[in-house]
Amino acid sequence: MTLNSTRYVLRETANSMKRNPWLSIASVLTVMVSLVILGFSVFFLANASNMAKSFESQLEIATFLQSSVTPDQLQTLQSQIQGMPGVASVTVVTKDQALIDFGKTMGGAQSNLVTDLGGTNPFPDKLTVKATDPQNVKALADEVSALTGVDKVRYGQGYVDKLLKFTQWLRWIGLGVVAAFAIAAIVLISINVKMNVFSRRREIQIMKLVGASNSFIRWPFLIEGLALGLVGGALAASIVGVGYNWIINYVQSTLTFLPVVQNIVLFRQVTGGLLLAGMAMGAVGSGLSLQKFLRG
Amino acid sequence: MIQLRNVSKIYQNGARALVDVNLKIGKGEFVFLVGPSGAGKSTLIKLFYRDETPTRGQVQINSKNLVRMKDWEVPYLRRGIGVIFQDFKLLPNKTVFENVAFALEVIGVSKREVMTRTRVTLELVGLASKEKSFPHELSGGEQQRVCVARAIINNPALLVADEPTGNLDPETAWGIMDLLYNINKRGTTIVMATHARNIVNKMQKRVIAIENGRVARDEEEGGYGYDA
Repeated sequence: MTLNSTRYVLRETANSMKRNPWLSIASVLTVMVSLVILGFSVFFLANASNMAKSFESQLEIATFLQSSVTPDQLQTLQSQIQGMPGVASVTVVTKDQALIDFGKTMGGAQSNLVTDLGGTNPFPDKLTVKATDPQNVKALADEVSALTGVDKVRYGQGYVDKLLKFTQWLRWIGLGVVAAFAIAAIVLISINVKMNVFSRRREIQIMKLVGASNSFIRWPFLIEGLALGLVGGALAASIVGVGYNWIINYVQSTLTFLPVVQNIVLFRQVTGGLLLAGMAMGAVGSGLSLQKFLRG
Repeated sequence: MIQLRNVSKIYQNGARALVDVNLKIGKGEFVFLVGPSGAGKSTLIKLFYRDETPTRGQVQINSKNLVRMKDWEVPYLRRGIGVIFQDFKLLPNKTVFENVAFALEVIGVSKREVMTRTRVTLELVGLASKEKSFPHELSGGEQQRVCVARAIINNPALLVADEPTGNLDPETAWGIMDLLYNINKRGTTIVMATHARNIVNKMQKRVIAIENGRVARDEEEGGYGYDA
């Protein structure tokens, strides 16, 4: 496109946005709302999966041994598990140690504890196994439980699964809400563009008559849609950016134990993504309304 | 210049606007299309600048086949054809100058060239002094001159006019006809649909009569041929 055409196109775009200010504002706002929801959902999901990961990494396999296991066998089992691939560490908690720990939590009177419990130590020997990769916990636990002398293993089965399932659900719901708003935004933009096409139909008729190319006629409307989407995207990006920073500060000062994602790369990706998504909505919206007209 | 072979046009509502029309118009000719209202004159003219395509038959302009033409080629066809309307079709919120310059602006001509060519063309149609006026400030004849200026600014080889004098009083109409006559003299082919009996009779140009969608008469230096 030549410089002359560019100048013409930009002037027309500005004019047509002035023509329907309320519709333009409505389009921008719907784009903004849909993208604000999208932006916050992305941050929320990033945090949820981050949280799931940190829970996973804290997972350990509590391996309870059969009461018949001798201290020698205990040693063998420990080195056996230590030798398995994917094992980070194995710590031993003997039945005696477990009893002492239990006594400590009960507070004092340890000497009487064994007799109080009927003369036997009810605690089994325990091996605490940590995996190098939380993904392997389940497989590792199966392997350990198959060893002779092992009574049962426990690693918070289903606990992580539930969390992941929950974030999965959130993801779908978020996606649904975002999609609904995005469709509304696209429809509004396309109505906006259609009305401008209508109010300029005389001009367009003459443009076609004197041989303006179709792309030349379409450009102002396409750019208008893009501009509406971009403004909505920019508003959404600033709201999400400022809002998320505010939330991070709040959470870090009051709920210090919660791990929050404060990743500048993710932050840039999300805000940049919102801008692009806004423009895409604008392009689709105006594209839809331009498809039917301007034939021949 | 223009060649129609076995052209029929049936609209979607079933109206048969043109039936088996064969026609040849040479370069530099001045042709009147006459005939009753609704006979198919406007449809015929619309075929020339591909506002309509025939249901059957072939249309050729400058040996270009308009039936097989792709949509993206149409703008380039139209840059070589000027169109004049009975209702002028001017943009009310643009000045005379802007209305005429518009035809060049939208095909990407440089600003400086737009300025000079618009000036020259307005001079040619006798409206140089009114370039800053808006259409509603002009008389009908002046508005039609603006329309003519816009149609010829791109130096088209073909000028088509659909009742260009239909809204004008006889004296003003003759002014427009003088203008068209001079444009034709410079080599532009003109096809004009009209009901103006005295103009057709006086100009003594080729006359093609269309009745019920068919060519009923085609004569060189003909007359209007219908009783009042």
